[in-house]
Amino acid sequence: MTIKLIGKSLSIPTVRVIICLKELGLPYELESPASLQSLKDEDYIANKHPFGKIPVLFDGDFRITESRPICRYLVPKYQGKHNDTILIPNDVHKAGLVDQFISYELSYYDPPISKLIHQEKFSKRLFNKDPDPEVIKQAREEFAKVLDVYEKLLERKEYLNGEYSLADIVHTYYVYGIVTHSDLWDNRPNVKNWWNRLCNRAVIKKSLEETKSFWENNENI
Amino acid sequence: MTNRLIGYSASYPTLRVIICLKELGLPYELEPPASYQSLKNEDFIANKHPFGKMPVLFDGDFRITESRAICRYLASKYQGKHNDTILIPNDVHKAGLVDQFISYELSYYDPPLSKLVYQEKFAKKFFNKDPDPEVIKQAHEELAKVLDVYEKLLEGKEYLNGEYSLADLVLCPGTNYVYGAGHSDLWDNRPNVKNWWSRLCNRDANKKSFEEIKSFWENN
Repeated sequence: MTIKLIGKSLSIPTVRVIICLKELGLPYELESPASLQSLKDEDYIANKHPFGKIPVLFDGDFRITESRPICRYLVPKYQGKHNDTILIPNDVHKAGLVDQFISYELSYYDPPISKLIHQEKFSKRLFNKDPDPEVIKQAREEFAKVLDVYEKLLERKEYLNGEYSLADIVHTYYVYGIVTHSDLWDNRPNVKNWWNRLCNRAVIKKSLEETKSFWENNENI
Repeated sequence: MTNRLIGYSASYPTLRVIICLKELGLPYELEPPASYQSLKNEDFIANKHPFGKMPVLFDGDFRITESRAICRYLASKYQGKHNDTILIPNDVHKAGLVDQFISYELSYYDPPLSKLVYQEKFAKKFFNKDPDPEVIKQAHEELAKVLDVYEKLLEGKEYLNGEYSLADLVLCPGTNYVYGAGHSDLWDNRPNVKNWWSRLCNRDANKKSFEEIKSFWENN
């Protein structure tokens, strides 16, 4: 039975789940909601996401929401079944550290880079507000400090937990911000090498190309 | 080997881990840092938490940070070993839903709640700042809307995922603070939420942990 994913391929959390599905070799159908406003409809809130968000995943009759839990559900259920990719190690200590790195992404990495992306890509387009240079400056500085920590975390490691895992996947889809602020990655050798390794994985490469190409073709809309 | 937990029991992410350790029947040693400022010391950053935060748990030589990640690790490793308490179900679907509810707590419940905790409990005492009534009002309203959703989520259920789980635990320490700081109406005005919170307050691990915290605030 195919997995059904409700979301938009431009939405960062949706792409997070798409990369995870592809890495696990799982077929899925993507169903876009009618509009952003439709997420607040009574029917959507009752039957899809009680807080009116995307993505939502249906695995047969089983419904699960929130992108990181969706990934954490898919991995134990399906990893190793369609290919050899292991996204959460079986060892309880290694799995604990993968979970810790996912928490770092959520707590420290996501807030400033999401601000940058919102200001530079979504503010005008979706909310008709001009980007605020003060917010951008502050978010950039905050993010630079976070990447200084990642530079140390990645010392002598190819990936955050040594081997490739879900911890790296959750960090990868912020390509919009990366393209505009590529110096933040390029000026830090461990971070730069890590990013290049991630970009060379077939699934991530394809996903990032699709996203990059969308923005290049839609700058002026 | 005993677990070593670095943190302040007054800090609710630390208390989250303390409740989890108690629920699993695990002994631990609590090691409070010298001060909030000491979390930014080179040594703390290099050897405890790279972002200068607490709590940090050492299970023997194994170090793990971030309270919810610590709880998930402890549950996966130790649940069922010292008592019958199951915090994360073995079934992959039920476990997925527990994880989803933990994400709701993090994404929707905690942001307004943590603002209220800071304003009502920590601003004056630790940072010598007067509470900001505008921030409190806004956070109260935001949390009210979130609890309206929880009222529906708890319809026909004793706990978020049916049976008690980590999904309920993660909410307890912060809720205890805000409930006792003049915002109890948020929970008491919603019957499902009110009953759920009563049930949680009756759990031994919570009762004991909340008592310890109460005496901390009374003595400081």
